[in-house]
Amino acid sequence: MIAMLLAGGQGSRLGLLTKVMAKPAVPFGGRYRIIDFPLSNCTNSGIDTVGVLTQYQPLELNSYIGSGQPWDLDLSGGGVFVLPPYVSGSEGRWYSGTANAIYQNMSFIEQYDPEYVLILSGDHIYKMDYSLMLDAHIRKNADITIAVRPVPWKNASSFGIMNADEDGRIFEFEEKPKEPKSNLASMGVYIFTWSMLKKYLTEDNANPESDNDFGKNIIPAMLKDGRRLYAYAFEDYWKDVGTIASLWEAHMDLLKQPPEFNLNDHRWPIYARTPVMPPHYVGPEAKVNNCLITEGCEIYGEARGSVLFAGVTIEKGALVEDSVIMPGCRVRAGAVIRRAIVAEQSVISRDCVVGASEGGIALIGQQTTLPEGYVVRPGEQVSGDTLKEDA
Amino acid sequence: MKDVMGIIYTSREELSLRELTSKRSVAALPVAARYRLVDFLISSMVNSGIRNVGVLMQGNYHSLMDHLKTGKAWDLHTRNNGLFLLPVFGGDGNGAYAGILDALRANVDYLRRSQQELVLLCGGSTIFNARFDDMIQRHADSGADVTVMYTRYDPLTFDHSSSASTARSFLSVNADGWVNDIEINPNAVSYPNMFADVVIIKRTLLMHLADQALSHGQHDLMRDILQGYVRNGMMRVKGYEFKGYCRQISTIKAYYRVNMDLLDPAVRHELFGANPVYTKTRDEAPARYLPGAQVVNSLVADGCIIEGTVEDCVLFRGVRVARGAHIRGSILMQDCDIGEKVELENTILDKNVTMLSGKRLIGEKQYPIVVGKNVTL
Repeated sequence: MIAMLLAGGQGSRLGLLTKVMAKPAVPFGGRYRIIDFPLSNCTNSGIDTVGVLTQYQPLELNSYIGSGQPWDLDLSGGGVFVLPPYVSGSEGRWYSGTANAIYQNMSFIEQYDPEYVLILSGDHIYKMDYSLMLDAHIRKNADITIAVRPVPWKNASSFGIMNADEDGRIFEFEEKPKEPKSNLASMGVYIFTWSMLKKYLTEDNANPESDNDFGKNIIPAMLKDGRRLYAYAFEDYWKDVGTIASLWEAHMDLLKQPPEFNLNDHRWPIYARTPVMPPHYVGPEAKVNNCLITEGCEIYGEARGSVLFAGVTIEKGALVEDSVIMPGCRVRAGAVIRRAIVAEQSVISRDCVVGASEGGIALIGQQTTLPEGYVVRPGEQVSGDTLKEDA
Repeated sequence: MKDVMGIIYTSREELSLRELTSKRSVAALPVAARYRLVDFLISSMVNSGIRNVGVLMQGNYHSLMDHLKTGKAWDLHTRNNGLFLLPVFGGDGNGAYAGILDALRANVDYLRRSQQELVLLCGGSTIFNARFDDMIQRHADSGADVTVMYTRYDPLTFDHSSSASTARSFLSVNADGWVNDIEINPNAVSYPNMFADVVIIKRTLLMHLADQALSHGQHDLMRDILQGYVRNGMMRVKGYEFKGYCRQISTIKAYYRVNMDLLDPAVRHELFGANPVYTKTRDEAPARYLPGAQVVNSLVADGCIIEGTVEDCVLFRGVRVARGAHIRGSILMQDCDIGEKVELENTILDKNVTMLSGKRLIGEKQYPIVVGKNVTL
């Protein structure tokens, strides 16, 4: 089985965070990026060939994946491959949808002649053994197996909902139904029998009316033809981090007692490409409580209920509470940050106030230097560009 | 620095480092919360553009070999040159060499096959983060046969307690930078310049000296060769002063001191600020500070889970400190597990030490208590 990871999405709901990088490249959990979770899942599941389909702002992602070494995917008989859209002959176009992205890379898949293909998306935080899902797929002799997760009934109408019989066979798929009949939401993780996927991708591509999307086109077409579609229930932690609020919440989940999502699991390590930095230092007058802190940080002030990424400095007299501070940021003396996400390499100058203990999550974009004493209200998004407009 | 190769000579187990080196060489000693001593040497070489690094290993070299592997962490896993692990060959039959010259002589084929003009030879028990570019340039400009690196030590903070098997050399350097005397392990030190265990020498000359020395029953480069040649003026030896932080780790006290020095931002800057120090990565989650944790003036690695009180400590990867535990002035290596209400002061706990609830260990700063690997108390 080989895996194809859809990493081309813009992730526009993450606002300023995805201005210069694709959503899967967004930092997560102190020393990871979102894409580390599906990639590590692949490695831990014994999958040694992964195609990563990129399109939107791919540079950061390309250099991050590199040779694939951090995930043990720098192999001679497989490994990780970044697959951007390309031109062949006079043809060539952007990926028009999730299914089209796979269609355009059919020849890549053919090189490995797999029996099964795993389709993943790059915007969820979870730990999943795909090999168990493959076992289920083979056992049921399925054409496609779709990973599903129970969601709260009240939210079910905002997901793609699978209606399945007792054996797990899907008889109906409803995209964002008004009156859901089940609460099993698709996780965007599919295992296809390759011959079947190939057939449907080719037919889908020939249909000019199609949106070339797995959820909208491929799965309904397979249902219509009476193919064997099975649901695979996944009950563990799974979080979509597609919005500022959910990205912040997922970080807070890491800090709960016990954590809702455990990163210290030696049986299922999450690999990452990490910067070369010394261990972190906590100063003589620092106060650190209920935090995740990683290499290169220097803490002289106070941090509570926060996740601090590599190389963050918190000066004496500064306070960071219930916040996510991404790599290389500096929080200067007298600054107070509450319920906020501060993106990479930003400087929160002296006496700034960012966010508050209630209200929406404040967001500071990459490489933003706030002027001294600047106030960012809850829910507000500020970047270097917005500061210029103000001035 | 295409024309310079690096060689690191790692000594046998060092008796004055007690339990810490009973199962590893000094070069493999864990320091600074996530490194091994040898990381600083190899990183300094790689940062100076050296692409061919040989590590002469003897005694208990398993731990060192496990750490270095293919040299990937230092980008030394290349087709040409790269990292060469050179385990003991010949020697005294007990897996050890009588001296560095024996080790070089045993690996003369490696020296012969290497293409570089110069060899930068380092001992394995000194910690510094250096760029050798300047030293190499000066060596070439001066026309010296040998250039040796030294550091000026402060007699007030200097650890005079000597160690049996690691020789310490002190250099007399004249106004033009030429070395005119070498003292080895004196009781009263005459010169303020301590040899930093780094030598630059022409590769072919080193091969010749090793061969000659062995045929005359000599083993040590400083004592048997350089000391005599400097005194009779047959060899031109230049001194190069390294101005950054530089310490030899040959006693428990020195080991303790170096780790505690790292709590000083100025020392941290000298060891980590200018040039990156590479090491084997372990995929650990960030350190977790639980509610109730109180940590001050400490260096903490990833993977730690802290619920107790930690003051003036160095915590390596994966250390757990339970609620109510109180740790002061201690060095806790990888995966140590400290139970509830444990009290530790001025201790060094080797890897994977478990302290059961309520235990107390109080050492002295001048004589920290050492607990060996995998011990449960």
